[in-house]
Amino acid sequence: MKFTYNWIKDFVDIKIPAEKLADKLTMAGVEVVSLDKRDGDYVFEVEITSNRPDWLSILGIAREVAAVTGSRLKITEIKRKIKAQKLPALTIEIEDRKDCPLYTARIIRDITIAPSPDWLRKRLELVGCRSVNNVVDITNYCLFELGEPLHAFDLDKVAQDKIIIRRAKAGEKITTIDGNIRNIDRGSLVIADSLRPLALAGLMGGKESEVTSSTKNVLLEAALFTPILIRRMRQAHAIHSESGYRFERGIDPQIVNKASQRAAVLMEEVCGGREVYFKSSGFTNTKERTVILKVSNVERVLGLRISNSKIKQILSSLGFKVSGRGKSALAIAVPSFRQDVSLEEDLIEEISRIFGYENIPSTLPRVLPSINIRESRGLVSDIKNMLIGLGLNEAATYSLIDSRVLNEFNPSVNPVGIMNPLSREQEVLRSTLIPGLTRAIAYNLNQKQEYIALFEVANVFFNKDNSPCAELRLGIALSGAKRMLFNDSAIKDELGLLNLKGILESLLVRLKIQAYEFRALNQEGKAHIFINNEEIGYMQVLSPNLLEKLEIKNKKVFVLEISLDKLLTFYRAQHKYVPLPKYPGITRDISFIFKKGNSMKDILIKLQEKGQPLLKGLRIVDYYEGKQIPQGFRGLTLECIYGSSQRTLTEDEVMPVHSLLCLVLREQPGVELR
Amino acid sequence: MDIDIILSQVEEEIKNINSPEGLEQFRLKYLGRKGVVAQLTSTIPTLPNQEKAVFGQKVNALKGKILSLLKEKQGAVVSGKGVSQEPYVDIGMPGIAQEIGHLHPLTQITEEICSIFNRIGFSIVEGPEIETEQNNFTGLNIPLEHPSREAFDTFYLKDYPKMLLRSHTSPVQVRAMKTHKPPLAIVVPGKVYRPDAVDASHSFMFHQVEGFMVDKGIQFSDLKGILELFARTIFNSDIKMRFRPHFFPFTEPSAEVDISCIICKGKGCSVCGRKGWLEILGAGMIHPNVFKHVGIDSGKYTGFAFGMGVERIAMLKYGINDIRLFFENDVRFLRQF
Repeated sequence: MKFTYNWIKDFVDIKIPAEKLADKLTMAGVEVVSLDKRDGDYVFEVEITSNRPDWLSILGIAREVAAVTGSRLKITEIKRKIKAQKLPALTIEIEDRKDCPLYTARIIRDITIAPSPDWLRKRLELVGCRSVNNVVDITNYCLFELGEPLHAFDLDKVAQDKIIIRRAKAGEKITTIDGNIRNIDRGSLVIADSLRPLALAGLMGGKESEVTSSTKNVLLEAALFTPILIRRMRQAHAIHSESGYRFERGIDPQIVNKASQRAAVLMEEVCGGREVYFKSSGFTNTKERTVILKVSNVERVLGLRISNSKIKQILSSLGFKVSGRGKSALAIAVPSFRQDVSLEEDLIEEISRIFGYENIPSTLPRVLPSINIRESRGLVSDIKNMLIGLGLNEAATYSLIDSRVLNEFNPSVNPVGIMNPLSREQEVLRSTLIPGLTRAIAYNLNQKQEYIALFEVANVFFNKDNSPCAELRLGIALSGAKRMLFNDSAIKDELGLLNLKGILESLLVRLKIQAYEFRALNQEGKAHIFINNEEIGYMQVLSPNLLEKLEIKNKKVFVLEISLDKLLTFYRAQHKYVPLPKYPGITRDISFIFKKGNSMKDILIKLQEKGQPLLKGLRIVDYYEGKQIPQGFRGLTLECIYGSSQRTLTEDEVMPVHSLLCLVLREQPGVELR
Repeated sequence: MDIDIILSQVEEEIKNINSPEGLEQFRLKYLGRKGVVAQLTSTIPTLPNQEKAVFGQKVNALKGKILSLLKEKQGAVVSGKGVSQEPYVDIGMPGIAQEIGHLHPLTQITEEICSIFNRIGFSIVEGPEIETEQNNFTGLNIPLEHPSREAFDTFYLKDYPKMLLRSHTSPVQVRAMKTHKPPLAIVVPGKVYRPDAVDASHSFMFHQVEGFMVDKGIQFSDLKGILELFARTIFNSDIKMRFRPHFFPFTEPSAEVDISCIICKGKGCSVCGRKGWLEILGAGMIHPNVFKHVGIDSGKYTGFAFGMGVERIAMLKYGINDIRLFFENDVRFLRQF
């Protein structure tokens, strides 16, 4: 909202410069976002929080200025009496008082429509309101000054001198003053005459009854409408008007008639009209709310003692009436414009606000650790730190995704949809982390990165037993080639599924999980990951088909996705120590060639079995493809470690076991010893 | 044989030795079982009695001298060993190690924020991203059809009435206070969602850290103290802080908290919009209606709550001017943190 320095001065004497005033207002909660010097005045733009509709007027701001500067508010009461006229009486019919508790109408006759005088036009323009004509400008002027939206109808366009405030009927339409033809839904409140709707209540008037250059007689409306109703209508009709904005937040019931009187006086002064008629229908509750303030609670909440006289002074300056002479409690009568104040805490806020938050001391509370609260983030944090140690970068991608993209990756899942997305890219919640990571890979390939290793830890969502579920997952995506420099060589290693396997195995070591297994199932290039026979995820090479859709060319992308929720259930913090071997072991290597396309997995398991009890370790220590190895084969060296916990083994003891392993190995399909 | 001549011969000889092997030969020649010193010693019994003592002392002195020369030379020969025998290493070549990756800046800032509060004694708790309307709004004293909802535009779920993506981390306050009794000191990091059009300063998904404390005797002054401690830790110790009255439905009194601009130190620049202040969080004393909803007696307990945007803090701390960079995942960006 905008207001000007001079306009405020109509209501309160200000002795400080505009900049200083802006600071004071900001520190009292009226946040001044800009201050401009224009046309010999200062224009303040402030952000008004939704709890303070009383600040949406010059009067309301002036009241605050008076409180923060220690001045007095100047209000002149308008006292009017209208001589009885022999005119057909105007009828006001309110269908439901709940929608419209108060409706007042004044009739001003014989006005002359003309452009507004300079002072009026200028003030409106400074606060950002376009000047239309004198009558319309006066209604707007009173809206900005006092916070009550007014509407002027051309009386001669209102049929049969009858105003009906009612909900719309089926199929009703209205052309509003902005030129739009609107279908009015049946929930909307309209101001109608006996024939048709004249205005959308509280939001915008109709074109047919609007004040034009030929208007002679004006019906001036000032009313109260129910905030929720206006809010629903504003949303349904997508109308943003100064009027609706204020009605939606709540209007001071006491200001309705004052604003209408002020407008009538101005119309007589400016437009040469004559007020001839006033009618009010409905009534407003004028009983003031009283809140009891226990003085000790001010200190209890703020941590600062404020004297009773200071409390009284602050609250009085804001328009509250303070009574109660006891020391410990005060009775505070809340003025009608402060609908937001109903609790003791609301009053404490008012006191602290004007006293100044900067005058409240800083203290440190005693913090008792809540040991009954379980924290599970430690392991996830460890996993992330391990992954960066393994050279991966952490990514952050959106939880919302285009359903078509998700379908390319995860067609079997019925995703959780979003009712009100702003675009197709926010249509559904993702059921997998892979599309986001793959998109990040594509982005980086476009930036000519040759090695990209990304991971993300985040929730995915899906429907389960008719409710939306979340699962914490780890996703990894790799692409490109990794260059590594060693002491005696440099290599360029094309990334592959085994890189993913190695990364995951490192994590499993950290989590002390041993019973894991990689199972290649039906699909080419995909392995499923099991722990204790429960599937926790998969790793795969993305199909060229899919990559093409993501505009990834001539590159492979390897992805892994596991459920951390499942994985972490296998973590056991308790762990038993295994005594170190007392006697040195003996190591023997076996070199052999192995046909490509066969799997080492079962062979290793078999050798492990046959080597018991002396075989303590088995690992592949060399790997070679090249000249000495026949086509379609690879050369491998297997290191076998033998040992005993009772004694140092002799060559004679190891020989038979090792020979057996060689024999077993030789019998395996695709194996030839070298 | 004249011992003095032998001595000068020894001193001459050892000068020219520059390998451990040469030194060993030298040792054998003089101190070996059939070496010079041994031979001299073996002649002692043949000498006249009055000469024995003097000659013996001379031989011992010679032996001592040879030993000390050997020891001296040994040091020199060994220390030269590394240079003479090891292959040449160009220390200007890159070191050999697994290249390390980088945690996302938002993770780093979140961890930094949480760990500051953790050290003060706050527990870290997380909550679900899919929430009920009840926890996200009503339980936090935000009436359903009220203008205060404007600030919290929300994504609703299809097919599940009254279920939504949380628009702030505050629902975790409701969850924690329902299940745990005071005293409570909790921080809540997490993702939140609001249907905002994406631009340099808006994102429909972002991250918050929420904190709250409930106990007997918690005061607004404690909120000021805790947040000042926090700001000085995460930014720097000479930062200034100010609390401005504001409105949040779930706190009363409420405040917006600014820090003196970390770029211009409060003088006014483009980052702080010439104001000298940067808004970094919202806070206040927990509203009695929130306590009422979770069954905590507001006559007995008071509490404060605060919330901040992680992206905002990260952008200020690192001087990032476009929020979209966080979600683009350009590795050249990620590698900087």
